[in-house]
Amino acid sequence: MATTTQVDLETRMSLQDFLYREALALDERRFRDWLEYLADDIRYEVPVRVTREALADWELTPTSRIFDDTKATLEVRVQRLETDFAWAEQPPSRTRHFVTNVVVDPGDVENEYLVQSNCFIYRSRGDEPTPSFYSLFRKDTVRRTSTAPGWEIARRWAAFDQSLINAHNMSIFI
Amino acid sequence: MTSSVDRSLDDELQGIRQGIREGRFPARAFNDQQIYDLEQDRLFSRAWCFLAHESEIPAPGDYVTRYIGNNNIIVARTEHGDISANLNMCRHRGNMLCKSEMGNASHFRCSYHGWTYKNSGELIGVPYMKEGYEGRLKRKEWGLVNVRVDSYAGLVFGCLDPDAPSLEEYLGGFQFYLDFYLKQGGEGSEVHGPPDHWVAETDWKICAENFAGDGYHTPVAHQWGFNLGYFPSSGSTHSQGWAASIPGLGHGIGLGHSPNFPPFGGFPDDLAERMKASFTPEQVEVFSQVRTAVGTVFPNLSFLMQPFSLVPGESGVRFVTMRLYHPVGPGRMEMYSWCLVPKDASQEYKDEAYRAYTLAFGQAGTFEQDDFENWTKVTRAAGSTMVKNVDFPYIMGMESERDKDFPGPGHVVRPYVNDTNFRNLWSRWADYLVGEV
Repeated sequence: MATTTQVDLETRMSLQDFLYREALALDERRFRDWLEYLADDIRYEVPVRVTREALADWELTPTSRIFDDTKATLEVRVQRLETDFAWAEQPPSRTRHFVTNVVVDPGDVENEYLVQSNCFIYRSRGDEPTPSFYSLFRKDTVRRTSTAPGWEIARRWAAFDQSLINAHNMSIFI
Repeated sequence: MTSSVDRSLDDELQGIRQGIREGRFPARAFNDQQIYDLEQDRLFSRAWCFLAHESEIPAPGDYVTRYIGNNNIIVARTEHGDISANLNMCRHRGNMLCKSEMGNASHFRCSYHGWTYKNSGELIGVPYMKEGYEGRLKRKEWGLVNVRVDSYAGLVFGCLDPDAPSLEEYLGGFQFYLDFYLKQGGEGSEVHGPPDHWVAETDWKICAENFAGDGYHTPVAHQWGFNLGYFPSSGSTHSQGWAASIPGLGHGIGLGHSPNFPPFGGFPDDLAERMKASFTPEQVEVFSQVRTAVGTVFPNLSFLMQPFSLVPGESGVRFVTMRLYHPVGPGRMEMYSWCLVPKDASQEYKDEAYRAYTLAFGQAGTFEQDDFENWTKVTRAAGSTMVKNVDFPYIMGMESERDKDFPGPGHVVRPYVNDTNFRNLWSRWADYLVGEV
């Protein structure tokens, strides 16, 4: 990764705004709108983290995934939430995605950018006074499009900072 | 005071035991400090408890750290290729030796005073041996606290009770059914990768019971799946199949059957042929009729095999999940969940099976999500004061005749929707808790 920015301010601001609006769609449970932010060829991946020695080859497993989704399976997840029987989200989680530390670099191909960000998720359930918190690092590939909103997420890769995850289920999106 | 409390709990457990025979089980068992403590003392310290799958530690030096009860255990492949399990505690002043969940090491060196052990547990290095201990310390006497291990078809179990019967005796014929999960293809099963690992405000026993063959919950708890057209069974045929249990030992499996579901459907043809060739004729006869196989090895290890397609209506693959419910407090547990794939399948099939597992039964799995939502609520209710004397009914199949023509071992009844396996599970649990195992 470059130590200083190689991307103009307007592009950076536009990408940041795009991520904020995407997060807003999730937090407002507008999941059909959210799918519109995702490319048809999206790969949506959340690797499993394992606690290991500092010098180990990897800490995020190359093979295990909490999410390993395509557009088709993300659509199934949304379709499921639209039924009356998605008990995990009855009543729904109240989430707030806090997206910060957005760093934009040119991608491997023209019109694509590597957008890294921190994502902190607050999740409140029912009458439970104690919310759950998840801290993640995201590496997205975002592609410029000719139609509104002007961008689409071609790849989302997000890693939890916990190896033992503090959630009885993961019925929300990252 | 303590002894009178203990005595009354023992009396109560005798009552619970009688209740199980009559088809009742108390709600409070699913969230109770005294029962949790007793499970630690009398159950997890005496039963054979699952530690690891051999394919997680294939090479000399490979290790994982796991738990038996509240004991953290290092499970390692030694330089000789065998598997050794030891308490993860330095014998000098008790520091945790190994702080990672997995890795490769021929030796473990304590970060406090530097005592060093082979991964098999022998103490081999002591700083200032001459100057400090003046030759009085005998290394042989201060190895790591060893755990008895044994394995079946890749599953490594540990037992803290030196007098417990062998693993083979403990499994008592349940191996017949376990083979369906553990001997996929011609060369057996392996883990696809490290397990999902999460915490839940859920009592481990709820999961153990559900996976001992709760076909009853599926059409409701997972109704969305029927709604979207995921299941090869429909609500009307869903109850078909068998409940098999090993009487007196607690193990049980539900075998769901769908009319017209092809034998070994979801496996690639060549793999299915290799499986048929390696199984006994009785196993082939049983497994040919099974759509869903969901079973629990007493106390807290479960398996599920299920055909599943990423998108409803497609042909799909068979995935196998193995899960361990590690109790960490009354009504609180850690879940370890693996996907087991056939060793000799193509990488493409393994990955496809893993993706099916992830979408259905990983932590974000669409079926898993709903289960834990229900189980967390059960646990919460079980901790309320009003349920101290409330029982749940376990009377399904009380009068069921044993299916004498069924080719598999154990007590086998129909239909799949049945409490027989659960009565057997809780009766074994009660045997341990009253100290009669």
